[in-house]
Amino acid sequence: MDDATCGPAPAIRAARRSDLQTLTDLRMRYLGEAAHDEPRLRLTADARARTEHALPVWMGQEDRVLVVAEAGDGDGETTHVVAYGMGYLRTAPPVLVRRHVGELLEVFVVPEFRGQGHAAAIVRVLTDALVGRGAEVLRAAVPMGHAAAQARLKKAGYVPVQVELERTLGRG
Amino acid sequence: MEGIPIRSARRGDIPSLLLLWDAMMREFVDADPRFEVHPDARAHMAASFAVWLQEPGRTVVVAEEAGRMIVGFATGVVLPGNGWQVPERLGRISDVYVAAPRRRKGIARRLAGRLLDLLYEEGVETVRLAAAVENPGARAFWNAVGWSELEVVLERPVPDPTPKV
Ligand SMILES: CC(C)(COP(=O)(O)OP(=O)(O)OC[C@H]1O[C@@H](n2cnc3c(N)ncnc32)[C@H](O)[C@@H]1OP(=O)(O)O)[C@@H](O)C(=O)NCCC(=O)NCCS
Repeated sequence: MDDATCGPAPAIRAARRSDLQTLTDLRMRYLGEAAHDEPRLRLTADARARTEHALPVWMGQEDRVLVVAEAGDGDGETTHVVAYGMGYLRTAPPVLVRRHVGELLEVFVVPEFRGQGHAAAIVRVLTDALVGRGAEVLRAAVPMGHAAAQARLKKAGYVPVQVELERTLGRG
Repeated sequence: MEGIPIRSARRGDIPSLLLLWDAMMREFVDADPRFEVHPDARAHMAASFAVWLQEPGRTVVVAEEAGRMIVGFATGVVLPGNGWQVPERLGRISDVYVAAPRRRKGIARRLAGRLLDLLYEEGVETVRLAAAVENPGARAFWNAVGWSELEVVLERPVPDPTPKV
Protein backbone atom coordinates (compact mmCIF):
# COMPACT_ATOMS: atom_id res chain seq x y z
CA MET A 1 0.00 0.00 0.00
CA ASP A 2 1.09 3.51 -0.70
CA ASP A 3 1.07 6.26 1.89
CA ALA A 4 1.88 9.87 2.54
CA THR A 5 1.66 12.48 5.23
CA CYS A 6 -0.16 15.81 5.22
CA GLY A 7 -1.14 18.56 2.78
CA PRO A 8 -4.64 19.45 1.52
CA ALA A 9 -7.15 16.64 2.04
CA PRO A 10 -7.44 14.70 -1.23
CA ALA A 11 -10.94 14.28 -2.64
CA ILE A 12 -12.18 10.75 -2.03
CA ARG A 13 -15.56 9.59 -3.27
CA ALA A 14 -17.45 6.36 -3.85
CA ALA A 15 -16.62 4.74 -7.19
CA ARG A 16 -19.30 5.17 -9.89
CA ARG A 17 -20.14 3.20 -13.01
CA SER A 18 -18.53 5.93 -15.10
CA ASP A 19 -15.21 5.06 -13.37
CA LEU A 20 -15.29 1.42 -14.52
CA GLN A 21 -12.79 1.76 -17.36
CA THR A 22 -10.31 3.74 -15.25
CA LEU A 23 -10.79 1.45 -12.28
CA THR A 24 -10.07 -1.60 -14.42
CA ASP A 25 -6.86 0.02 -15.65
CA LEU A 26 -5.78 1.02 -12.14
CA ARG A 27 -6.55 -2.40 -10.73
CA MET A 28 -4.52 -4.12 -13.43
CA ARG A 29 -1.61 -1.85 -12.54
CA TYR A 30 -2.08 -2.66 -8.85
CA LEU A 31 -2.15 -6.40 -9.53
CA GLY A 32 0.84 -6.06 -11.84
CA GLU A 33 2.87 -4.36 -9.11
CA ALA A 34 1.83 -7.03 -6.60
CA ALA A 35 2.91 -9.77 -9.04
CA HIS A 36 6.21 -8.01 -9.60
CA ASP A 37 6.85 -7.86 -5.84
CA GLU A 38 5.71 -11.46 -5.28
CA PRO A 39 5.88 -13.72 -8.36
CA ARG A 40 3.73 -16.35 -6.62
CA LEU A 41 0.88 -13.82 -6.96
CA ARG A 42 1.23 -13.55 -10.76
CA LEU A 43 -1.83 -12.88 -12.86
CA THR A 44 -4.06 -15.38 -14.63
CA ALA A 45 -4.46 -15.04 -18.41
CA ASP A 46 -7.96 -13.56 -18.07
CA ALA A 47 -7.33 -11.34 -15.04
CA ARG A 48 -8.46 -8.25 -16.91
CA ALA A 49 -11.70 -9.77 -18.19
CA ARG A 50 -12.50 -11.05 -14.71
CA THR A 51 -11.81 -7.63 -13.21
CA GLU A 52 -14.11 -6.00 -15.80
CA HIS A 53 -16.80 -8.46 -14.85
CA ALA A 54 -16.29 -8.18 -11.07
CA LEU A 55 -16.09 -4.41 -10.60
CA PRO A 56 -19.75 -3.56 -11.41
CA VAL A 57 -20.87 -6.44 -9.17
CA TRP A 58 -18.69 -5.21 -6.32
CA MET A 59 -20.06 -1.68 -6.68
CA GLY A 60 -23.51 -2.96 -5.78
CA GLN A 61 -22.48 -4.98 -2.73
CA GLU A 62 -23.38 -3.73 0.76
CA ASP A 63 -20.36 -5.38 2.40
CA ARG A 64 -17.84 -3.96 -0.08
CA VAL A 65 -16.46 -0.43 -0.22
CA LEU A 66 -14.92 0.87 -3.43
CA VAL A 67 -13.62 4.44 -3.46
CA VAL A 68 -11.51 6.59 -5.77
CA ALA A 69 -9.32 9.65 -5.26
CA GLU A 70 -9.48 12.50 -7.73
CA ALA A 71 -6.76 15.02 -8.40
CA GLY A 72 -6.73 18.10 -10.61
CA ASP A 73 -4.50 18.31 -13.66
CA GLY A 74 -3.38 21.85 -12.82
CA ASP A 75 -5.93 23.91 -14.79
CA GLY A 76 -8.18 24.16 -11.74
CA GLU A 77 -11.11 22.57 -13.56
CA THR A 78 -10.44 19.06 -14.78
CA THR A 79 -9.98 16.22 -12.31
CA HIS A 80 -8.90 12.62 -12.89
CA VAL A 81 -9.11 9.48 -10.88
CA VAL A 82 -5.56 8.84 -9.68
CA ALA A 83 -6.08 6.24 -6.96
CA TYR A 84 -8.57 3.70 -5.69
CA GLY A 85 -9.16 1.59 -2.63
CA MET A 86 -11.28 -1.43 -1.84
CA GLY A 87 -12.41 -2.78 1.50
CA TYR A 88 -14.61 -5.71 2.44
CA LEU A 89 -16.55 -6.63 5.56
CA ARG A 90 -16.04 -10.36 5.99
CA THR A 91 -18.52 -12.09 8.27
CA ALA A 92 -16.96 -15.32 9.49
CA PRO A 93 -18.84 -18.31 10.92
CA PRO A 94 -19.18 -18.36 14.74
CA VAL A 95 -15.75 -19.78 15.54
CA LEU A 96 -14.00 -16.72 16.97
CA VAL A 97 -15.71 -14.03 19.02
CA ARG A 98 -14.71 -11.37 16.52
CA ARG A 99 -16.69 -12.41 13.46
CA HIS A 100 -16.91 -9.13 11.57
CA VAL A 101 -13.55 -8.40 10.03
CA GLY A 102 -13.00 -5.22 8.01
CA GLU A 103 -10.41 -6.07 5.36
CA LEU A 104 -8.36 -3.44 3.55
CA LEU A 105 -8.03 -5.38 0.31
CA GLU A 106 -6.42 -3.03 -2.19
CA VAL A 107 -5.07 0.52 -2.19
CA PHE A 108 -3.32 1.87 -5.26
CA VAL A 109 -2.07 5.33 -6.22
CA VAL A 110 -0.61 5.95 -9.68
CA PRO A 111 3.13 6.54 -9.22
CA GLU A 112 3.08 10.22 -10.35
CA PHE A 113 0.61 11.04 -7.55
CA ARG A 114 2.31 9.18 -4.71
CA GLY A 115 3.49 11.07 -1.66
CA GLN A 116 0.49 13.43 -1.70
CA GLY A 117 -1.66 11.78 0.95
CA HIS A 118 -4.05 9.91 -1.36
CA ALA A 119 -3.39 6.47 0.15
CA ALA A 120 -3.67 7.72 3.72
CA ALA A 121 -6.94 9.47 2.87
CA ILE A 122 -8.30 6.34 1.16
CA VAL A 123 -7.35 4.19 4.15
CA ARG A 124 -9.18 6.62 6.46
CA VAL A 125 -12.32 6.51 4.33
CA LEU A 126 -12.23 2.71 3.99
CA THR A 127 -11.66 2.35 7.74
CA ASP A 128 -14.59 4.60 8.60
CA ALA A 129 -16.84 2.80 6.12
CA LEU A 130 -15.91 -0.67 7.41
CA VAL A 131 -16.31 0.36 11.04
CA GLY A 132 -19.64 1.96 10.13
CA ARG A 133 -20.76 -1.37 8.65
CA GLY A 134 -19.90 -3.18 11.89
CA ALA A 135 -16.24 -4.25 11.61
CA GLU A 136 -14.91 -5.41 15.00
CA VAL A 137 -11.30 -5.52 13.85
CA LEU A 138 -9.38 -4.30 10.79
CA ARG A 139 -7.01 -6.44 8.75
CA ALA A 140 -4.67 -6.14 5.79
CA ALA A 141 -2.49 -8.78 4.10
CA VAL A 142 0.90 -7.77 2.70
CA PRO A 143 3.36 -9.90 0.70
CA MET A 144 6.16 -11.12 2.98
CA GLY A 145 8.88 -9.23 1.13
CA HIS A 146 7.00 -5.92 1.00
CA ALA A 147 8.72 -4.35 4.01
CA ALA A 148 7.70 -0.77 3.19
CA ALA A 149 3.97 -1.58 3.15
CA GLN A 150 4.31 -3.52 6.40
CA ALA A 151 6.14 -0.60 8.00
CA ARG A 152 3.40 1.84 6.94
CA LEU A 153 0.68 -0.36 8.37
CA LYS A 154 2.60 -0.78 11.63
CA LYS A 155 2.88 2.98 11.85
CA ALA A 156 -0.91 3.13 11.51
CA GLY A 157 -1.30 0.82 14.53
CA TYR A 158 -1.45 -2.55 12.76
CA VAL A 159 0.40 -5.52 14.27
CA PRO A 160 1.12 -8.90 12.66
CA VAL A 161 -1.40 -11.58 13.64
CA GLN A 162 -0.94 -14.39 11.11
CA VAL A 163 1.35 -15.53 8.36
CA GLU A 164 -0.01 -17.10 5.20
CA LEU A 165 2.16 -20.04 4.13
CA GLU A 166 2.34 -21.84 0.82
CA ARG A 167 3.56 -25.16 -0.47
CA THR A 168 3.74 -26.31 -4.08
CA LEU A 169 3.01 -29.98 -4.74
CA GLY A 170 4.06 -32.43 -7.41
CA ARG A 171 7.41 -30.94 -8.34
CA GLY A 172 10.69 -32.54 -7.50
CA MET B 1 10.03 -46.29 9.84
CA GLU B 2 6.51 -47.46 10.70
CA GLY B 3 4.48 -44.59 12.11
CA ILE B 4 1.12 -44.29 13.77
CA PRO B 5 -1.67 -45.09 11.27
CA ILE B 6 -3.30 -42.14 9.50
CA ARG B 7 -6.75 -42.64 7.99
CA SER B 8 -9.71 -40.65 6.72
CA ALA B 9 -12.07 -39.62 9.51
CA ARG B 10 -15.45 -41.31 9.96
CA ARG B 11 -18.68 -40.18 11.61
CA GLY B 12 -17.83 -42.05 14.79
CA ASP B 13 -14.69 -39.91 15.17
CA ILE B 14 -16.65 -36.67 15.60
CA PRO B 15 -16.63 -36.69 19.45
CA SER B 16 -12.84 -37.21 19.45
CA LEU B 17 -12.40 -34.55 16.77
CA LEU B 18 -14.36 -32.09 18.90
CA LEU B 19 -12.27 -32.83 22.00
CA LEU B 20 -9.07 -32.26 20.03
CA TRP B 21 -10.51 -29.13 18.40
CA ASP B 22 -11.39 -27.70 21.85
CA ALA B 23 -7.88 -28.41 23.11
CA MET B 24 -6.40 -26.77 20.00
CA MET B 25 -8.47 -23.62 20.43
CA ARG B 26 -7.55 -23.40 24.12
CA GLU B 27 -3.89 -23.44 23.12
CA PHE B 28 -4.50 -20.75 20.51
CA VAL B 29 -6.30 -18.45 22.96
CA ASP B 30 -3.63 -18.97 25.63
CA ALA B 31 -0.97 -17.94 23.10
CA ASP B 32 -2.95 -15.00 21.70
CA PRO B 33 -6.17 -13.69 23.29
CA ARG B 34 -7.23 -12.24 19.92
CA PHE B 35 -8.31 -15.81 19.05
CA GLU B 36 -11.02 -15.85 21.73
CA VAL B 37 -13.55 -18.53 20.85
CA HIS B 38 -17.20 -17.77 20.08
CA PRO B 39 -19.73 -19.26 22.54
CA ASP B 40 -21.42 -21.12 19.65
CA ALA B 41 -18.15 -22.44 18.22
CA ARG B 42 -18.47 -25.99 19.54
CA ALA B 43 -21.96 -26.49 18.09
CA HIS B 44 -20.82 -24.92 14.85
CA MET B 45 -17.82 -27.24 14.64
CA ALA B 46 -19.90 -30.33 15.47
CA ALA B 47 -22.15 -29.49 12.53
CA SER B 48 -19.17 -28.60 10.32
CA PHE B 49 -17.34 -31.89 10.95
CA ALA B 50 -20.52 -33.83 10.11
CA VAL B 51 -20.81 -31.95 6.80
CA TRP B 52 -17.09 -32.06 5.99
CA LEU B 53 -16.96 -35.86 6.27
CA GLN B 54 -19.33 -36.11 3.32
CA GLU B 55 -18.48 -32.99 1.32
CA PRO B 56 -16.62 -33.41 -1.97
CA GLY B 57 -13.34 -31.49 -1.89
CA ARG B 58 -13.13 -31.69 1.93
CA THR B 59 -10.59 -33.90 3.63
CA VAL B 60 -10.38 -34.81 7.30
CA VAL B 61 -7.69 -37.26 8.42
CA VAL B 62 -6.94 -38.61 11.87
CA ALA B 63 -3.99 -40.30 13.59
CA GLU B 64 -5.21 -43.34 15.47
CA GLU B 65 -3.23 -45.09 18.17
CA ALA B 66 -3.75 -48.67 19.28
CA GLY B 67 -7.00 -48.91 21.22
CA ARG B 68 -8.76 -46.67 18.68
CA MET B 69 -7.53 -43.53 20.40
CA ILE B 70 -7.45 -40.47 18.11
CA VAL B 71 -4.41 -38.35 18.99
CA GLY B 72 -4.29 -35.93 16.06
CA PHE B 73 -6.24 -34.63 13.10
CA ALA B 74 -5.88 -32.45 10.04
CA THR B 75 -8.46 -30.85 7.74
CA GLY B 76 -8.19 -29.49 4.23
CA VAL B 77 -10.36 -28.25 1.40
CA VAL B 78 -10.11 -27.55 -2.33
CA LEU B 79 -11.13 -24.00 -3.24
CA PRO B 80 -11.30 -21.95 -6.43
CA GLY B 81 -8.60 -19.28 -6.76
CA ASN B 82 -9.66 -15.64 -6.78
CA GLY B 83 -9.63 -15.62 -10.59
CA TRP B 84 -7.05 -12.92 -11.24
CA GLN B 85 -4.03 -14.38 -9.49
CA VAL B 86 -2.69 -17.90 -9.85
CA PRO B 87 -3.52 -20.59 -8.94
CA GLU B 88 -6.92 -21.28 -10.51
CA ARG B 89 -7.62 -23.87 -7.76
CA LEU B 90 -5.87 -24.24 -4.48
CA GLY B 91 -5.88 -26.45 -1.45
CA ARG B 92 -6.28 -24.95 1.99
CA ILE B 93 -5.30 -26.62 5.24
CA SER B 94 -7.52 -25.30 8.01
CA ASP B 95 -6.31 -27.31 11.01
CA VAL B 96 -3.50 -29.63 12.05
CA TYR B 97 -3.39 -30.67 15.68
CA VAL B 98 -1.56 -33.30 17.68
CA ALA B 99 -2.36 -33.94 21.37
CA ALA B 100 0.41 -32.38 23.45
CA PRO B 101 1.77 -35.64 24.99
CA ARG B 102 2.22 -37.13 21.50
CA ARG B 103 4.22 -34.31 19.95
CA ARG B 104 7.64 -34.51 18.31
CA LYS B 105 7.06 -38.07 17.14
CA GLY B 106 6.42 -37.18 13.51
CA ILE B 107 2.62 -37.42 13.75
CA ALA B 108 1.87 -33.96 12.31
CA ARG B 109 4.36 -34.60 9.51
CA ARG B 110 2.41 -37.74 8.59
CA LEU B 111 -1.00 -36.05 8.94
CA ALA B 112 0.04 -33.13 6.75
CA GLY B 113 1.70 -35.50 4.27
CA ARG B 114 -1.48 -37.55 3.90
CA LEU B 115 -3.58 -34.40 3.51
CA LEU B 116 -1.26 -33.11 0.77
CA ASP B 117 -1.41 -36.47 -1.04
CA LEU B 118 -5.22 -36.35 -1.00
CA LEU B 119 -5.29 -32.73 -2.17
CA TYR B 120 -2.83 -33.56 -4.96
CA GLU B 121 -5.10 -36.42 -6.04
CA GLU B 122 -7.86 -33.81 -6.35
CA GLY B 123 -5.71 -31.94 -8.88
CA VAL B 124 -4.37 -29.24 -6.58
CA GLU B 125 -0.76 -28.08 -6.95
CA THR B 126 -0.69 -25.17 -4.53
CA VAL B 127 -1.73 -25.40 -0.90
CA ARG B 128 -1.97 -22.55 1.59
CA LEU B 129 -2.68 -22.13 5.28
CA ALA B 130 -2.57 -19.47 7.96
CA ALA B 131 -0.47 -19.81 11.10
CA ALA B 132 -0.64 -17.47 14.06
CA VAL B 133 2.37 -15.21 14.49
CA GLU B 134 2.34 -16.03 18.22
CA ASN B 135 2.67 -19.76 17.51
CA PRO B 136 6.40 -20.36 17.03
CA GLY B 137 5.94 -24.15 17.29
CA ALA B 138 3.58 -24.22 14.32
CA ARG B 139 5.80 -21.91 12.26
CA ALA B 140 8.83 -24.10 13.03
CA PHE B 141 6.84 -27.19 12.05
CA TRP B 142 5.67 -25.79 8.69
CA ASN B 143 9.14 -24.53 7.97
CA ALA B 144 10.57 -27.99 8.77
CA VAL B 145 8.15 -29.68 6.35
CA GLY B 146 8.95 -27.39 3.43
CA TRP B 147 6.42 -24.55 3.53
CA SER B 148 7.39 -20.96 2.83
CA GLU B 149 5.85 -17.72 4.05
CA LEU B 150 3.88 -15.81 1.42
CA GLU B 151 2.08 -12.97 3.19
CA VAL B 152 1.79 -11.45 6.61
CA VAL B 153 -1.67 -10.49 7.88
CA LEU B 154 -1.70 -7.43 10.12
CA GLU B 155 -4.58 -6.21 12.22
CA ARG B 156 -5.59 -3.34 14.45
CA PRO B 157 -8.52 -2.78 16.75
CA VAL B 158 -11.24 -0.53 15.40
CA PRO B 159 -10.66 3.12 16.32
CA ASP B 160 -12.44 4.29 19.46
CA PRO B 161 -15.64 6.16 18.67
CA THR B 162 -15.20 9.93 18.71
CA PRO B 163 -16.06 11.04 22.25
CA LYS B 164 -19.37 12.90 22.52
CA VAL B 165 -19.13 16.42 24.00
C1 LIG C 1 2.49 -27.84 15.32
C2 LIG C 1 2.13 -29.30 15.67
C3 LIG C 1 0.96 -29.71 14.77
C4 LIG C 1 3.35 -30.19 15.39
O1 LIG C 1 2.99 -31.54 15.69
P1 LIG C 1 4.08 -32.69 15.95
O2 LIG C 1 3.43 -34.01 15.75
O3 LIG C 1 4.77 -32.47 17.23
O4 LIG C 1 5.12 -32.41 14.76
P2 LIG C 1 6.20 -33.47 14.17
O5 LIG C 1 6.65 -34.37 15.26
O6 LIG C 1 5.64 -34.10 12.95
O7 LIG C 1 7.36 -32.44 13.78
C5 LIG C 1 8.08 -32.49 12.55
C6 LIG C 1 9.21 -31.47 12.63
O8 LIG C 1 8.65 -30.15 12.77
C7 LIG C 1 9.49 -29.35 13.63
N1 LIG C 1 8.74 -29.01 14.86
C8 LIG C 1 7.55 -29.50 15.26
N2 LIG C 1 7.14 -28.90 16.40
C9 LIG C 1 8.10 -28.03 16.73
C10 LIG C 1 8.26 -27.12 17.80
N3 LIG C 1 7.34 -26.97 18.77
N4 LIG C 1 9.38 -26.36 17.83
C11 LIG C 1 10.32 -26.46 16.88
N5 LIG C 1 10.22 -27.31 15.81
C12 LIG C 1 9.14 -28.08 15.75
C13 LIG C 1 10.67 -30.24 13.98
O9 LIG C 1 11.68 -30.01 12.99
C14 LIG C 1 10.10 -31.63 13.84
O10 LIG C 1 11.09 -32.62 13.60
P3 LIG C 1 11.97 -33.21 14.85
O11 LIG C 1 11.00 -33.53 15.95
O12 LIG C 1 12.60 -34.42 14.24
O13 LIG C 1 12.91 -32.12 15.22
C15 LIG C 1 1.78 -29.45 17.17
O14 LIG C 1 2.78 -28.81 17.94
C16 LIG C 1 0.43 -28.88 17.54
O15 LIG C 1 -0.58 -29.55 17.44
N6 LIG C 1 0.41 -27.58 17.97
C17 LIG C 1 -0.83 -26.91 18.35
C18 LIG C 1 -1.76 -26.71 17.14
C19 LIG C 1 -1.10 -25.95 16.03
O16 LIG C 1 -0.39 -24.99 16.26
N7 LIG C 1 -1.38 -26.37 14.79
C20 LIG C 1 -0.87 -25.73 13.62
C21 LIG C 1 -1.78 -24.64 13.23
S1 LIG C 1 -1.20 -23.74 11.80
